[in-house]
Amino acid sequence: MNIEMTLTLFGNEIFIPSTIINSWIIVILLSIFAIVVNRKLKKVNAAEKPSGLINVIEMSVEGVQSLVKSTMGDKNLGFVPYIGTLAIYLAVANLFGLLGFKPPTSDYNVPLALALITFFMTQYYGIKSKGLGGYTKSFFEPIPFLAPLNVIGELANPVSLSFRLFGNILSGVIIMGLLYGALGWIAPIVTPALHVYFDLFAGLIQTFIFIMLTMVFVSMAME
Amino acid sequence: MGGTGNFILDFINWLLTFETKDLILAGSAIGIGAAMIAGIGPGIGQGYAAGKAAEAVGKTPENSRQITFVMLLGAAVAETSGILALVIALILLFSNPLITVTGVGLIISASAIGAGLSMIGGIGPAIGQGYAAGKATEAVGKRPNYQSTIVRTMILGQAVAQTTGIYSLIIAIILMFANPFLT
Repeated sequence: MNIEMTLTLFGNEIFIPSTIINSWIIVILLSIFAIVVNRKLKKVNAAEKPSGLINVIEMSVEGVQSLVKSTMGDKNLGFVPYIGTLAIYLAVANLFGLLGFKPPTSDYNVPLALALITFFMTQYYGIKSKGLGGYTKSFFEPIPFLAPLNVIGELANPVSLSFRLFGNILSGVIIMGLLYGALGWIAPIVTPALHVYFDLFAGLIQTFIFIMLTMVFVSMAME
Repeated sequence: MGGTGNFILDFINWLLTFETKDLILAGSAIGIGAAMIAGIGPGIGQGYAAGKAAEAVGKTPENSRQITFVMLLGAAVAETSGILALVIALILLFSNPLITVTGVGLIISASAIGAGLSMIGGIGPAIGQGYAAGKATEAVGKRPNYQSTIVRTMILGQAVAQTTGIYSLIIAIILMFANPFLT
């Protein structure tokens, strides 16, 4: 299912691709989900055992907390909300292909934007924890001669981070699209196994890799 | 020396006698074949992982379920380069963006070959990822209690090892969709 739009704003035509619309659908769905969970959480009695949806929510929050704790250390638990948000959004976005939508992450704008957030977070927390002097000095280590290489290496991080996600999701979209086109009506017999690999496996692994690399980059800059 | 130069000139002149579209199609065909050479990498890497898994199961048969899980997970990640190469080959085969481009036939044709050739770079990451998968499999066989930590480190390392393969993909995509030589 692909919804596309052309808006006319102040006489200019603005093309809105399906990936942006799908992205908005995900944001709206996740917001509704968050409101429902919030309502339920307020009614919960803390003394009782959690059950049903609340149990799943608690498990996933604890999972993200322990992941952040083991990767970034005890004092950086403040990153849990961002990492959790990133994980939920990326997982839903990557798995959106299973519902017949075009995954937003197969549009290069989305991975690039997320990778740039990581990049600027890395620089901001690097400067904040080391000071401007220490941050600048870190580029001249181990020997000053390597400074250009360090700068290029730092700039290459967001490129490889975004293209890793984009390339993997797009390859799934392209292969599945070609298969559905080539096979016609027998496609539903062959494709489920491939959906498990290209959508479920690649989508979840890439989500995990993206949040892990974000945590590693930020915590390395802070050390 | 003069003989060789004449031969190259003759060859290029001979190439230029063909029509632009035929040249591009011929170049695409070579590129498609060249891209699939990248399959060497996943083959070696996954073979190594499978060998290490067999070794680990031989030593500690009681951990075979966990060992197999880690081997399959690592091998699936090592497959990435092969899939990226397949995607470039399939794009060149079924929705080739270079066919509709107007320009010098020789350059477009060479771009198609280059896009395929660049995917050969995927061999390196795939072998490296397979090696990491093999070592992780070995480690899980020895210490099955640390499975989640070992798997996390393995996937993180494999993701970083993928970087040069991703650069190959970027260059291939630029050559096909936003070629700066064709303006």
